[in-house]
This record gives sequence, structure tokens and C-alpha cells, in this order.
Amino acid sequence: MTSLQNLKVTRLRPLGPDATDMALFVRSSDEDLQGWNRQRIVDALLRETTVDPGTAETIGMEVEDFVRQTKIKFVSAPLIRELVNAKLLEHGLEDIRRMHTRLGMPIYDVEQLILQQNKENANIPHGPEATNLTLAEHIKKEFAFLNVFDQDIGDAHMRGDLHLHDLGFIDRPYCSGQSLEYIKKYGLSLPNALSLAKPARHPEVLLAHMVKFAAALQSNFAGAIGWDAVNLFFAPYLVDLDDQRVKQLAQMLIFEFSQQAVARGGQAIFSDINLYWEVPKHFADVPAVGPGGQYVDNSDQAGRAEKPYLTYADFEKEAQRFLWALFEVYLEGDASGRPFFFPKPLVHITEKFFQTEGHREFLHLICQVAAEKGNTYFVFDRGGTAKVSECCRLSFKLEKSDLEDAKTPWRMRYTALQNVTINLPRLAYLAEGDNGRLMSLIKEKFELAVRAHLQKKAFIERLLEQGERGPLALLGMNRDGEAYLRLKRASYLVGMVGLNEMVQYHTGCELHETDEAIRFGLEVIAYMKTLADKFRAKHGMNFVLEQTPAESTAYRFAKLDVERYPDQAVKVVKGDLSRNEIYYTNSTLFNIGAEVNPIERVKLEGLFHPLIEAGAITHIWLGEKRPSAESLANFVEKTFRWTQNDQVAFSPEFTTCRSCGRTARGLRETCLYCQSTDVEGITRITGYFTKLSSWNKGKLGELRDRFRNEPYFPQGAASAQSAAA
Amino acid sequence: MTLFTKDGCIKCQRIKERFNLKELGIKVEKITPDDYKVLAHLAWHELVDLVEQGKLPILVLDDGSHLDHEVPIRRFLKQYAREVGQTEAA
Repeated sequence: MTSLQNLKVTRLRPLGPDATDMALFVRSSDEDLQGWNRQRIVDALLRETTVDPGTAETIGMEVEDFVRQTKIKFVSAPLIRELVNAKLLEHGLEDIRRMHTRLGMPIYDVEQLILQQNKENANIPHGPEATNLTLAEHIKKEFAFLNVFDQDIGDAHMRGDLHLHDLGFIDRPYCSGQSLEYIKKYGLSLPNALSLAKPARHPEVLLAHMVKFAAALQSNFAGAIGWDAVNLFFAPYLVDLDDQRVKQLAQMLIFEFSQQAVARGGQAIFSDINLYWEVPKHFADVPAVGPGGQYVDNSDQAGRAEKPYLTYADFEKEAQRFLWALFEVYLEGDASGRPFFFPKPLVHITEKFFQTEGHREFLHLICQVAAEKGNTYFVFDRGGTAKVSECCRLSFKLEKSDLEDAKTPWRMRYTALQNVTINLPRLAYLAEGDNGRLMSLIKEKFELAVRAHLQKKAFIERLLEQGERGPLALLGMNRDGEAYLRLKRASYLVGMVGLNEMVQYHTGCELHETDEAIRFGLEVIAYMKTLADKFRAKHGMNFVLEQTPAESTAYRFAKLDVERYPDQAVKVVKGDLSRNEIYYTNSTLFNIGAEVNPIERVKLEGLFHPLIEAGAITHIWLGEKRPSAESLANFVEKTFRWTQNDQVAFSPEFTTCRSCGRTARGLRETCLYCQSTDVEGITRITGYFTKLSSWNKGKLGELRDRFRNEPYFPQGAASAQSAAA
Repeated sequence: MTLFTKDGCIKCQRIKERFNLKELGIKVEKITPDDYKVLAHLAWHELVDLVEQGKLPILVLDDGSHLDHEVPIRRFLKQYAREVGQTEAA
């Protein structure tokens, strides 16, 4: 028998209790060359799994015999591990094998990743940080399947019945909404920070704190970072500032957020700022936190006894001035006249908005921005509802207890822990026209989604148990008597893709084609809502429906269904099959290529919005068209008064030239000014502006199909600021 | 026409007792946590938020418009009942 005495094993040093060892080792270029030792196999099995010592010895001996027979000279630790795993399978020890599995990626795949851009997220530029992110996400995804979710849930995701969003960020919550008041009051004192900062005394410092905090938050969440009432909470710092300084601050805010390519894989911080022209009712009588984190004294001697501190209502003018300045900056665009990609401005339209002085002029300005640059999101808060919005449509409806928290606004922190999206068209294929079967399938997938949420929640709770010394230190930090992440207020999202295709397959008509199609679609979503309500009551967890943005999920589901259900899927899938640029219509949207009057689209899509508590949006694609601000203002007001629509955004298209640096309206193959072909298209992908070169195939297919509403908006005059774009 | 009601809604109950809704051709739909079809019907008529604000009963008329709250509904039904020759219960 061949002796193993001279067999060399290359290995990384064994992973100790301190993961720093592993990280430091990888960064050095050391490798150990050690002699063969069967005991190491046994030790690893006993340490990592629940196998008994006898079986571990047996496995060790069998692997040793195999290696001896191959006469191999050098063997790596990963290879030994796989040999052990193979032996475990032979012995029928699948569960033990799972515990012993090594996570990783083939060398070929790593090379491809380093060389070619991953387009799953159009916000991530190609580069070393992005590659690090993708590689790390890959391992964490595998970990999630093996260690967080049950196998049937993982299988449902892999098959495409469901999509578990952001698996590569399994150790983080999804999105968050918060208030500047937290850092205004407590300063910037983050766990693991190298220095602490007292509460800001000046607006520029407050802005610096906001940006740093956003960057820190971004590394603790998978998705968007939303900020409530930004112009209002800055206002106490803006008293007596001249217009130039206010404008400068607005520029700084927008440029800081749009240029910070430091988050998650080198992308810009995915940030949303909620903005109000009026002082929201729930903040009007709240004492304002000002410079130094202190309430602002009421200088009016006569009124001081009853009202010792100024409230946010007293800062309406400053808030409006800052808001106006922000939109002036958005209107100008960046140095090349391009729209800013971030932060996304969400303007809340309420009944009080229309009663507040100056609203007409402000509405005109933000509609001008919408027409010229497309930035403005119009969020409709009807009938006394209040929301903190973020991402492109996610919103947290403020309940009574939240409105109580409004008295201490730093407590207003919200999170969605996870999103799980259901593949609706596939259920139609399986139901084969049977309504009862369809609803039964929806229930089955919904239950899977709920279980996935329960398991993700359990995992996050485990991480949070370690508080400020654990892996989620920032989320566990406690400055106001409560952990920063208020898990009891978390939402658990259940999303949907392809309602249009589901209805089309099941009834024969798309949503925009008949009232019966819409009504059936409403029944589907209403059923999902009743399920969400039922599971909310059962588990005490806030399950809510969300219109999943589905930047890549709509493409993924379509691709998987064309493979698995080719006869059915080809009848309804959208896009171009020959180019593989296929997609399902996003969430509950109508066919984006259908020539539907936009006000009708807004009204009819809006029928679904009250059922989708975590937020919904209707997109109005503009293409090259530049409608007048007046026409958009009328449209916005009509939408608020005569529909149930939650939110609208208008999306123009641009071409920016890398040669001459100028930006023109519309998507073009060559520069309008210098005829260079080195151009880049820019428009809104799902909920944010980005360059077309980073879009996945499904979104490119959708882009080709978009109905750009040409007949419906009268062309407006180009503004002086946008002579090019 | 459709009257949306809910268990425990006293105003809804009074309307139902006062008028022979079936004879008037008015369908009564009871809102329950499980009945997604009623919820979908409410959504179709853009009434979900109204119900969440507690504004029941709601009467949806033939032209798709609606009345909410007991008094306007009673007033309307009284007139309607008169037109079709039905008498209101005491």
C-alpha cells in the first residue's frame, strides 16, 4: 500500500473561533504545507457536525484509503473536504454532509465575475468592490439556503416559485426609514466608530453626520435608506441663513448622496428623502430639535409660559426655502445636465398641501423638475394617512402609535425585514383555468413565504442578541432606551410579479383590456391581502403586500418559466424571446407597452393600491417628450383628488456623451452635439435612474416596449437650465 | 346597487331593518376578514380606505357613485322606496 507519509496537504489555517484569523490569512499569501494526518478529518467532523466518533473515524479511514490508492502527491484541504462529503453521502448521511459542506465558487466563475459585470443590480458599478460583494453574496446565499431556510423554501426559490430577495445579505434587514432627529439629538456616536461627534450645531455638520450615518446604515441594510421630512428637520438650523447659503447646502446634500460611491460594492447610497411643503399635522406641535441637539427656545417672552419651545410649525418658512432650493438643484442637474440618480425626492401631497400658501408655485416647480429631469416622486397621502416612504414605492404607513412617536421623532425608525415575491403567472399555468385551484396555489406559496419570513426573523434575532458587540452592532445600539432597529415595528413583505400575465393566461385578457380582467386581478390581490391579515393576526408580525420593484426578478421568473413551462409561458411572457430579453410585467402594473391614456392608467392601476399596504407606484414613461409643468401639475392634482393611486413618477430619457460631456433628451445612438458614438443612455429602470449599460436583459426588453405617452402630454417649452437635456 | 355592511355595525343594522333591501333590488355584501371577493368589490369601487376609516354603511349606486353614513343612505333609500312603491318600516 502506498505510504501517505510524503503526501503534502495544502490548506488554509483552520478557522478558529476568531474569524479574524481567516480574514488575515487570506490577505497574506501564506499557505501551510503539512503532512497528511487523518485525525484532522475526524476532528473537523466532530467539531462541525453531530456525527458520532465511531462514524467519524470510519469516514476518516475510508478517505485515507481512497487518497492512498490515487497515489496523488499534493492534495488540498477543499478536496479532502469534498472527498469526506462524498463518503458521507455514500453512508446516507445527507444531513451531516450539509453541516460539513464548504461554501464557495469554482475558479472559472470567479474569473468570469472579475472580468464581466454582474447586472443583477444596475446600481452597482463594475470594479473590485463590486466583485468582492458578488463573491461574498454568493457564499452568504449558499449559507442562507443551508443554514437559515428550510430546504423546501430554498428549493421553491431555486425553482422560481418564489424569490427570496437579497439572499446575499441574509444577515441584514431589507430596507429602512428613519429620522434626522436621531443624529440631531444624539450626535454621531456609532458602535465601532473611531471617534464620536456631539450633536451638530451647524447645518453643514448636520449634513455631514447624515451622510456618514447613511453610509453606515447602508452597510447594515440590504436596500434603501429613507429619511423622513428632511427639509422640515433641517429647518431649525437654517434660521437667518441667506439664500445663497441655503442653496449651497441643498447642492451639498444632493451631490454628497449622489456621489458617495462607497456603499455595498461601490455603489452610491440608495437614499430617499421625504419632503413636505406644509408642516405635517403630526409634527406641527412637536418641539423642534435645533443646533446642539437642544429644543429651540421660544424667544417670545409673552408666550413662553405656555410654549417654552418653538415647534416645527414655527419653521415652515425655513423648511420651504430649503425645499425650494433642493428642487432648484434637481432642475439644474449635474455638471453634464444629467438628472441626479440619488437621493430620490419623495414629495408628499396631502389635503393640507393644497391649503398651504405657495403650494401652486411649488407644485409648478416640482412638476417642472419632473418634466425636465424626472426626479420627483409624488406620494399621495389621502384622508389623514401619513407615510415614510423609501425605495421606489415601499412605504411605512404611520399607525396611531407611530403618530404618538411623532412627539419624539427620533423614535420613528422603521424597517422591512425581508421581501419574498410570488411568481403569479406560474400559478396560472398550474391552475389550468380553475379558480379554486389558483387560489389554493396562491395560499400554498403565501404560506411558504410566511415560513421564510419566520426563519429570517429568527436568524436576525440571533444576530441582534449580541447587541452592540455583535455583528449588527449599529442596529443594536441603544441611545434612547430602545435598540436602533425596532424589530417589533418591522414589516414583512410579500410581493408579487406578473399579475398581468397571470390574469392574461387565466382569463384570456390582459388587465388593460377588460373590466372583468381588472376585477379578477383585484380578487387575486384581495385574496393575498386577506392572507396577509390572517398571518399577521396569527404570528403577531406585520405581514403586508408590496409591489415588488423586481428589477431582476421579473426577468428571472420569465426565464425560468420559459424553460419549465414553455408551452404556457410563451403565450404571455413579454419582451423579445429571440434576444432572450424577456420579462413579466412588474407586480400589479398594467402592460407597460399598452397604449392606455395615462390618467386612466393611473386610475385603474390605483384600484389595486389600497390593497397593497407597503406601497405601490404608477410609472408614466415620457421618453423624449418634455410636457409642460402645467400639464403635469394638473395631472398630479387630478390623481390626488380623483384616484386611489399611491404614488406616480414621470420618467424622461436622456443620452449623455462621454466625449463632449453634454446630455440630450431621448435615447440616441450618437451624440446630438458632436456625433460621437461613445454615448450612454439614462432613464429610470424600476425605481431609480441609472445607465442602460448596467441593465439586465429583461429590463432592456421592457425598455423597448414602454409606451411613452406621446399623444397625451402637450410639449412644454424647454427651460433655460435644460437647453441640452 | 350594493350595500356594504359589517357585523357589529349598528348603523348598518338599522338600514337593513328599516328597508326591504331585497325587494328594492339592493344586494347586501357583508365585509369579513376572509371574504376576498367583497374586498375586491370594495377595491373596484375605490372604497377600501373608506371602510378602513370606519365609514360604514356604504351604498354603491347604479352609476358607480356611492353614499356613506347612515343619514344620507336612509334619505336616499326613503326616496327610492317611495318611487318604487315600497313603504319604510317604522
